[in-house]
Amino acid sequence: MRQYFKNIYEAIATILVGMGVTWRHLFTRAVTIQYPHVKRTLPERSRMQLFVEMDDCIGCMACERACPVDCIEIKTVRGGKDEDLGQTSNGQKKRLHVVQFDIDMGKCCYCSDCVFPCPTGAIRMTPEYEFITYDRSTLLTKFATYSPEEISELEERERKEKEAQAAAKAAKLKAAEEAKKAAAGTDEPKSE
Amino acid sequence: MKKSNIPESQFELQVPDSLKTEEMTLSMGPQHPSTHGVLQVILKTDGEIITSAKPQIGYLHRCFEKHAENITWHQVIPFTDRLDYIASMNNNLGYVIGLERMMNLEVNERAEHLRVVVSELNRIASHLIALGTYGLDIGAYTPFLYVFRDREKILDLFEEICGARLLYNYIWVGGVAYDAPDGWREKVLEFCDYFDPKVKEYNDILTFNKIFIERTANVGVIPAEVGINYGVSGPSLRGSGVDFDLRRDDPYSIYDRFDFNVITGKGEMGTVGDTWDRYWVRVAEMVESVKIIRQALENLPEGDAKETVPRNIKVPAGEYYMRTETPRGELGFYIISDGSKMPNRVKVRSPAFCNLSVLPAVAPGVMIADLVAIIGSLDIVLGEVDR
Repeated sequence: MRQYFKNIYEAIATILVGMGVTWRHLFTRAVTIQYPHVKRTLPERSRMQLFVEMDDCIGCMACERACPVDCIEIKTVRGGKDEDLGQTSNGQKKRLHVVQFDIDMGKCCYCSDCVFPCPTGAIRMTPEYEFITYDRSTLLTKFATYSPEEISELEERERKEKEAQAAAKAAKLKAAEEAKKAAAGTDEPKSE
Repeated sequence: MKKSNIPESQFELQVPDSLKTEEMTLSMGPQHPSTHGVLQVILKTDGEIITSAKPQIGYLHRCFEKHAENITWHQVIPFTDRLDYIASMNNNLGYVIGLERMMNLEVNERAEHLRVVVSELNRIASHLIALGTYGLDIGAYTPFLYVFRDREKILDLFEEICGARLLYNYIWVGGVAYDAPDGWREKVLEFCDYFDPKVKEYNDILTFNKIFIERTANVGVIPAEVGINYGVSGPSLRGSGVDFDLRRDDPYSIYDRFDFNVITGKGEMGTVGDTWDRYWVRVAEMVESVKIIRQALENLPEGDAKETVPRNIKVPAGEYYMRTETPRGELGFYIISDGSKMPNRVKVRSPAFCNLSVLPAVAPGVMIADLVAIIGSLDIVLGEVDR
C-alpha cells in the first residue's frame, strides 16, 4: 500500500521536474524558422543542385566516370584543326565541342564525387536547393548550348573527317604495302 | 528468465471449457510508426500476451552487396552512407579503414583526428534519435522535439564541414573529403559546452521520469549469455552488462589515444539488461563521446587533411574483415579484392540485423505494448537491417 502511494508521489514529482524543463524552455528563443518567409543561408560547401560552367568544360568525361549512379551523360565532337574553341578559366585549351551535357537531378545522389576529378572546376555543387517540380522529367538538366542542327552539322563534319582520315590511312597503308611488295619483288630474285 | 514484471497469475485465462479460444495472428508493421521504418513483425498473441514474434525483413532491400561488386572502390563509399543513414560517418569509417589496412596506407594525422571528431558527433546524433524516438514509442512526445533541436546543431556542423546533412560521403580512403573550414573547431567546442548541460535536461524530462521507468524497467530483459549467443553488439549488448566496446578492445583509427569509459548496464532501475539499461547506456555514452571530441580537438594538428588521399585506389588481392563500433554495434565489412578496380565482394555484418535477431527470443511472454518498448530499445535502422 505504501509503495502504491510512493509510486504516485514519484510520478507526480518527476513529471513536475520534467515540466520545469519545458517551463524554462518557454523563455528561450525559438529555434525553428518560418521557412518560406525566412530562409537560412546555407554554407558555401552545401551540396545541393549541380551546376556546370560550360565555358570551362573541356569534355574530359572525368565526372561521368566518377558518378556512382550514372546520372551524367556527355557527348563530345572533336573540334576542327584550325578552329579556336577558346580557353577555360584556368588556361586550359578546349579541343572538344561538348554537344551534350545532361545531368539527371532525379538520379543524382548528391555525393559530389563528380566535383573533385574535374580538372577545370567546371562542375560544382551549389547551395541552390529549391528546384522541386511537378514533373520528374524536368529534373533532367541540359547544360550544352548547341542546337540540334549545329550538333548534326558537327557530327557530319567529324564523320567526314574521320572518313577522310581513314581513307588517307588506308592509302598510306596501301602505299607502304606496295612499296614493301616492290622491295620484296626486287629482293627475291637477288636471293635466288 | 524473467520476461515481464507482471505476475504470471494475472495471465491465467479463466475461461470455461465450452468456450473456444484460439491464438490470434497479428501483423505489426510495416507501416506501424513504432517499428522504426519498414519492419513487419508477425505476432502470435494469446489475448494481450505474445507467444511468438517473427520479424519480416526485406522491405528496404537495395542490393548493396551486389551493387558494390559493379562499381569502383571509391564509388562504394556513397552507398555505405545509405546503410545506416542515421550514422553515415561511422559506416564510411568502417569501410574506408578496411581498405586502408588492405592497402597499408598511412593516414594524415589531421585527417585521423577529424575522422574521430565527426564519427563521435555522429554517434551523439544517432543516440539522440534513439532517445527521442524511444520516448515517442513509449508515449512521451516532448523529448523528441528536444533531441531534434540538438541534433540539428550537429547536422549544421556537418553541413559546414562537408556540405551534406545526412549522407555525407566525407571519410575517404587516405583521409577526408574536405578539410575543416576556419572556425569549425571552435564551433564544435562550443557545441560540446552547449551539449553537456542538455544531457541533464533529457534526464529530467525522460530518463528518470517515473512513468517512463515503469514502462521500461524489467521489460524485455536480455541476459548477457542470450545477447552474446544471438550476436547482439553495441549499446544493446553493453546494456546487458557485457563490458565490450571495439573502440577500446580492438582499437582502430586513433581511438587508443583517448581516455573514455565504456558504459555498461547495471540494472539501476530493475534487472540488468532490461530496456531501461539499454536506454541508459546510450545516454551515458553521449557524454563519453563529448569527452572524446574534446580530446581530439585539443590535439588537432595543423596540416593538410587531404595529403594522403591517393589518386587511384589500388587494392592488392586479398581479403580483410574490418569491424568498427558504430552507434548500433559492431559493423563488419568483409572485403575481398582480386586486385582489380572493383571489389570482388563486400559483405556487411550489420549490427542492427544481428540485434534484431534477438527479438524472437525476448518477445514471448510480453505484452504487445512492451514489444514496442523492446524494438525501440534495440535501436534498429531498417536501412541497415535490409541493406
